[in-house]
Amino acid sequence: MTAQASTHLGAISRPVRKFVGSLTRIGAQTKFYTEILKGIGVALAHHKREVIRLIAQMSLGVGALAVIGGTVVIVGFLSLTTGSLIAVQGYNTLAGVDVEALTGFVSAYLNVRLIAPVTATIGLAATIGAGATAQLGAMRINEEIDALEVMGIRSIAYLTSSRVVAGVVVVIPLYCIAILMSFVAAQVGTTFFYGQSVGVYLHYFNTFLNPTDILWSFAQAIVMAVVVMVVHTYYGFNATGGPAGVGEAVGRAVRASLVVTALATMLITLAIYGQSGNFHLSG
Amino acid sequence: MTTLARIASPARGLGEFFAMALDVAVLMFRPPWAWREFILQSWFVARVSLFPTFMLSLPYTVLTVFVENILLVEFGAADVSGAGAAQGVVTQIGPVVTVLVISGAGATAMCADLGARTIREELDALRVLGINPVQALVVPRVVAATMIALLLNSFVTLLGITGGFLFSVFFQHVTPGAFAASLTLLTGPRDVVISLVKAALFGMSAGLIACYKGISVRGGPQGVGNAVNETVVLTFVALFFINIMATAVGVQVTR
Repeated sequence: MTAQASTHLGAISRPVRKFVGSLTRIGAQTKFYTEILKGIGVALAHHKREVIRLIAQMSLGVGALAVIGGTVVIVGFLSLTTGSLIAVQGYNTLAGVDVEALTGFVSAYLNVRLIAPVTATIGLAATIGAGATAQLGAMRINEEIDALEVMGIRSIAYLTSSRVVAGVVVVIPLYCIAILMSFVAAQVGTTFFYGQSVGVYLHYFNTFLNPTDILWSFAQAIVMAVVVMVVHTYYGFNATGGPAGVGEAVGRAVRASLVVTALATMLITLAIYGQSGNFHLSG
Repeated sequence: MTTLARIASPARGLGEFFAMALDVAVLMFRPPWAWREFILQSWFVARVSLFPTFMLSLPYTVLTVFVENILLVEFGAADVSGAGAAQGVVTQIGPVVTVLVISGAGATAMCADLGARTIREELDALRVLGINPVQALVVPRVVAATMIALLLNSFVTLLGITGGFLFSVFFQHVTPGAFAASLTLLTGPRDVVISLVKAALFGMSAGLIACYKGISVRGGPQGVGNAVNETVVLTFVALFFINIMATAVGVQVTR
């Protein structure tokens, strides 16, 4: 009787415990994120050298990634490929309904609102974000973070807030490169490879390129940089389980940041463009 | 000498990668086949990928459909929004979300797992036992990644079109019948086949890169972390490049 009751209780309490566990995890992450944001002031006041060192390191990359040109080249290349999708897919789809002249418009519209911010975010998460997780994870496993605490240095401010600041600084020139690359790729693909006249392309491109949209997409990129950095530093800072655990933490951080940034991009886009769309065909 | 070595090291890495890919291609058709490992790895990749797939395909579809419907409503052509959604989901969102999931979730998990085995010297132990680690571990992983990518692509397409339908109909007031009727206006079976071929290519390349990075891990914790980091970056770069190439070829074929 009691044994039966306890198994019933066990069957109920397991999902409950799982649910409570996930709530605890969300709470711990939120607490960590607020501490990172609170530490930004400390990082800027006391750890300026570290912030500058991180900016240099993030923009050029470390290790094997530096060999193929660092973050700048990787993000530039990713936006080049996604921008040329406009030429390849957009031009041919539009040609299917005989309005291929509008490819320039599609580039000005989709690149700014959708393709460039998403691609830049993915590039950031893969390069700077995953790199930060790997570094912090290795520091945690080697007990370097504990050593910092013993020395009386605020480890969250010194290690993670400084990385968030550096990420935001790095994303601004990076996003310029990303958006320019996607424009150039779409234009070269359409005019050079598919033979549309440059005048037609540029006419529709310039007519529909909306400066407010570009500013919004910059704001989006900066928010994404903060999101990517806090998620990735959380997973690195709390890595466990020896050398293998660092690899696992990097994998888990990439998964989490892809999901979180996708949701955040969607919410931001819906918030900015709303139901009205901020789009006027007549100019 | 050191500068020469530094220039030569990426070239050597590339050479080792292709040598391993060749090994995989040869050993894939030679018994003994590692069935058990193949099934376990398929389940492993599917398990780590399923949740991200779900959470990525919905926002990206909603985004695309939303941005596109703004345009179509402005043109006064909201009734063909199904055509745009199908074209976007089948030709781009499907493959791109598959890329993100396979490289961000599948390949990273695979590389972390294999890298952990490498630094625990399990691979050396296999070699001592006379078992080829490429045959026992890499081949089943690459085949599993290819198959799961294929299945994931179908799943993403299905989720994407359903999500696009719900969003268009319930939030942007498109007529459900018009949405469904215009689905096949621009997108045909050929596009679906190309999308599946792309997905298979993505899975295979991501599997190869993840396994190469996993079995060539060196150094301690930082080494494993860096290997996973490089896996993400390299698979993104390779897969986006394959995507643009495969799209260009596919467009020429279907024209």
